[in-house]
Amino acid sequence: MVDHVKTDAELVASTLRGSQEAFRQLVVRFERPVYSLVQRMIQDPAAAEDLAQEVFLKAYRRLDTYDPQWKFSSWLFKIAHNTTIDHLRRGVPDTVPLETEGDDRGDLSAVLADSSTESPAAASERRDLGRALEQAISRLRPEYREAVVMFYAHGASYQEICEVTGLPLGTVKTNLHRARKELAGLMTAAGWGPEAVKAGRTPDETGSERVS
Amino acid sequence: MRPSHHEALDRWLAAERDDRSDSADIADAALRELFEALPLLAPPAGFADRVLARTGLQTAATRSVFASRVLRLALVLSLIATALGAIWLPPTLRALAGLWSLGDVVELGIWAVAAGSRGLATVLSVWDWVFSLGRTVAGPLMTPQVTGALTLCLLVSGLAFRFLRDQISGERSWNHVHPI
Repeated sequence: MVDHVKTDAELVASTLRGSQEAFRQLVVRFERPVYSLVQRMIQDPAAAEDLAQEVFLKAYRRLDTYDPQWKFSSWLFKIAHNTTIDHLRRGVPDTVPLETEGDDRGDLSAVLADSSTESPAAASERRDLGRALEQAISRLRPEYREAVVMFYAHGASYQEICEVTGLPLGTVKTNLHRARKELAGLMTAAGWGPEAVKAGRTPDETGSERVS
Repeated sequence: MRPSHHEALDRWLAAERDDRSDSADIADAALRELFEALPLLAPPAGFADRVLARTGLQTAATRSVFASRVLRLALVLSLIATALGAIWLPPTLRALAGLWSLGDVVELGIWAVAAGSRGLATVLSVWDWVFSLGRTVAGPLMTPQVTGALTLCLLVSGLAFRFLRDQISGERSWNHVHPI
C-alpha cells in the first residue's frame, strides 16, 4: 500500500487541529529552503539558524491567517523576506565574509563534498565550484541575490517572487536578468567556464580572489 | 567524461555570451540545472526539534552551551584566571595594607567626600543658572495660545514621524535595510 504524502495545505489544516507531527513535517519539508534563503541573505550561519527558527515560529503563530489559495512556500518565503529585512534593520551590517578556507559551516562546498562516489579530485573540484558560486552570489546586491536564490535554487516562479518581494513583474524579470549576467561575469572572472578549459587553466590557478 | 554540473556551468556561461534569441532561456535552464546539482544549504541537525521547542509544542531540545568550543575555552580561561587571582590576592592585599595605614584610608575617604560635594555644588549652581534662564525664556511663551500651538506642533510632528516610520517598516524593500 502506498503512503499518501500529505500536501502542505493538509499539513497546515492538521496543525491547526493541534497535530504536532503535522507541524514537524512542515518544518522538515521547508527547513532547507528557508535556512538557505536566510543564510544567503544575511551571510551569517549562526544568526541564520535563529532567524530561520523565528520564521517558522511566526508562521506557526499566524497559521490561522494562511490562505490556502497561496502556495505555502510563497507564504513562508514572504515571512522569511520580512524577517530578514527586519533583522538587517536592527543594525546588523550586511557584510560579505572573507575567504573562509577550511571553515565549512553553512558553505555550499561542504555539502558538495558529501558525495561518497566521487574521486578526491572530483570532490575537490565540486567543492571549488560550490565555493566560487557561493562567493559570487554573496557579491550580488540583496535584491538580486534574493531573486537568484528563489528562482534558480528553489524553482520559484516570477509571480511567486513578485508576491514575496512586493516588486512588479517587470522589475523582478529585470533583476533576474541582470543578476544572472553579473553572476556569470563573476564566475568567468574567477576562472570558470569553457574559455578557462580551452586555455588550459583551472580555477585553482586563477584563484577565487579574482572574484571582485 | 565531464560531470553534469560542469556541463551545465559551461552551457550557462556560453549562453550568456551568445546573441541568439533563445540564449536567455538556455542560460536560465542551465543555471537552474546547476543549482539542482548543488544541494541546498542545510541547518544544523535538530533544527525541527528546536523550532518545536520554541513553539511550545515540545519540551526543549536545546543545544548545550558547552557544545561551543569558544565557550568551553572561555570557561577554562576564566577558571585559570580565578585560580591565579586566588593565589595572588592574599600577598597583594598584604602589600597594600603595608603601604596604607588606617589613617591614610580615612583621610582619603574624607578627601573623596569633600571633592564629591564640591563637584555636586558646581553642578547644582550650573543647573540653577540653566533653570533660571529657561524660566526667563519660557515666561512670555506660557500663554494658553502659545502652549496650545506648541502642543499641536508636537502632536503633528509625532504623528508624522510615526506615519513615516510605519511606511518604511511596512514596505520591507531592500532599499531600507539600514537601521531606522
